[in-house]
Amino acid sequence: MGTDAFEFTINFVKMVAIFLMMVQIVPLLVWVERRGSAYIQNRFGPNRVGPLGLTQLLADAVKFLTKEEFVPGRGYPFIYYAAPVVAMIPATLALAAIPLSAPFHVEPFEMFGRNWGPYTFMFQGYDFGIGIVFVLGVSSLAAYALLLAGYGSNNKYSMYGALRASAQTISYELAMGLSIVGVILLFNTFSFTDIVNAQSAPLNFMWFGKKVVVEWLPNWGLIYQPLGAVILFAAMFAEANRLPFDLPEAEGELVAGYHTEYAGFKFNMFFIGEYGHMFVASALMVIFYFGGYTIYPWLTPETAPQIMGKLLGVTSATWMSFWGSILLHLVLMAKVVAFLWIFIQVRWTLPRFRYDQLMDLGWRSMLPWALFNTVITAIVVLLMRYQWGA
Amino acid sequence: MLWDAIGFYGMALFLIFFALKTITVPNPIHAALYLVLTMIGLAGMFFNLGAHFIAGVQMIVYAGAVMVLFVMVLMLFDLKAEIRSFSRGLLSGALKIMSSALLVGFALGSAGSSVAILDSSDTAPTQIDVTRQLGVLLYTKYLFAFEVLGILLLVVAVGVVAVSRMKGGTHAQH
Amino acid sequence: MPSTETILNVGLTHYLALSAVIFSFGMIAVLMRKNVIVMLMGVELMLNAVNLSFIAFAKESGNLSGHIMVFFVMTIAAAEAGVGLALAVAIYKKFHEVNIRFFEHLRG
Repeated sequence: MGTDAFEFTINFVKMVAIFLMMVQIVPLLVWVERRGSAYIQNRFGPNRVGPLGLTQLLADAVKFLTKEEFVPGRGYPFIYYAAPVVAMIPATLALAAIPLSAPFHVEPFEMFGRNWGPYTFMFQGYDFGIGIVFVLGVSSLAAYALLLAGYGSNNKYSMYGALRASAQTISYELAMGLSIVGVILLFNTFSFTDIVNAQSAPLNFMWFGKKVVVEWLPNWGLIYQPLGAVILFAAMFAEANRLPFDLPEAEGELVAGYHTEYAGFKFNMFFIGEYGHMFVASALMVIFYFGGYTIYPWLTPETAPQIMGKLLGVTSATWMSFWGSILLHLVLMAKVVAFLWIFIQVRWTLPRFRYDQLMDLGWRSMLPWALFNTVITAIVVLLMRYQWGA
Repeated sequence: MLWDAIGFYGMALFLIFFALKTITVPNPIHAALYLVLTMIGLAGMFFNLGAHFIAGVQMIVYAGAVMVLFVMVLMLFDLKAEIRSFSRGLLSGALKIMSSALLVGFALGSAGSSVAILDSSDTAPTQIDVTRQLGVLLYTKYLFAFEVLGILLLVVAVGVVAVSRMKGGTHAQH
Repeated sequence: MPSTETILNVGLTHYLALSAVIFSFGMIAVLMRKNVIVMLMGVELMLNAVNLSFIAFAKESGNLSGHIMVFFVMTIAAAEAGVGLALAVAIYKKFHEVNIRFFEHLRG
């Protein structure tokens, strides 16, 4: 966490800010989803409360908070109450391990009559050396929220939803993990920061003993791993239980699936979990395949502080570094928002799969293709790095 | 050192409580859920011991896959809480508990007396890049075992499919 | 009674003791529970306790072979859980019961 009071305070504020960011992005996303779906379906959407219907979210929150408290009879109250909390945990913890911008450096300075040494603050909740494994491990706990909800509700629709959900999550986790293996092999690291840094250079690789450098292309993962990117993105839809993979809550067949018995704020927490998953999934896509918080050749961790220094007229190294990190964070958020819009667009465009189609897609086409991708990547990386390379 | 001790004892109490709950609650689904908490606690313990990658694998494999399978199968079975969840027989039960306690006693005694043999001061592991060393070790020194495990998993996968599709299929009349 | 120094200085012994206790819990579950699936959970508990002692030894001796063993144990445990659950499902389909007593009928 830190060695002295200053570092401790900043890290604490940072963690709270990241958590609040995840929670606060949800109402905005709900608004975008409702207005966006209205736009896609040629209707108005919520437009009565406040400008553009923006304060609809506040009204919704009041409604959620004042709803009647309800526990299904003959269920398991503790498990029933635990499920919404568990639904929020995986997305929150996963977001804490994802770097949202380049680290910023604080030069030594004087305050309260003593010197405070140089610091480097990561723009993330906590830097695990093995960030990818941590995110995968935490997000594999997401199935429990649905299982607990289904079991605690004592409702056969909830139970069906929960069983479908766990089968779906296990099936698509395989394809997801395997497609990430390609990225890990390619960049030779488990750390998100290293992956992003590798992508801020021009496209370069070894080819038959020669170093090929393509100046006009960034070194993005998408160029090496197009198949992995497609598989990961599809699997992310299944992990977040979004259409076209929203069988756990298929309202035509199962009333509302695992959250049939949930109302008010407990329902809202499932919502926060789902949108948090979408956010984490988009951030992972951006970091693995789309250069993370950098845009080669203009915005990299090296150039961003200079640009912001010129733009804002600040000269101190600390503030230049800080505003540079903020700029890179805005770059990441712009890319993430693009992916979030794709999530919403897909939800309101595609119909739902049938259950056997879902399993068929997961086991008989996505898993073999992900395996194929892993094997090909392994062979090529082996040749590039150890046969042709230095 | 004090904080290390507090962290360890906190986690150890957490683990022992949930492990005890796992084996004593009558409802098997609750037992499975307590076991999930035990697994997560063990992952934290591994993390504490510097085995970050193993902790992640523990979360993915145990908490995320094996236990989900357990919970799912238990839900399919539609079991009610068992009235008598322990096997009958007072004498045999006492013998079983005593044998377990004897085992713990032996383990504790041998652990306490053999720690001095391990030289711990000068071979402290370098915590840098444990994951990379682990990978190198897995693909060089233990390559054969790794390959054999791959074959084992294949055999198990085929065997499980064969067992679960035994004659009659899913909707067999009995 | 060990001294305060021994209690506070957390080392290999403490982890081994914890491992032994959890192992015995798993063993009690296997010996005494009647539900086959809870017995399988007891086996998982035992394997995990052994993993903990492996990792503690690896940390103490600075030898990463302990981590490799844990890796192998986890793989085998996953395989074992798969087979065990498949067998339990097969038994349940036949008897509608997962009590260990019903496994006696499987003879011959």
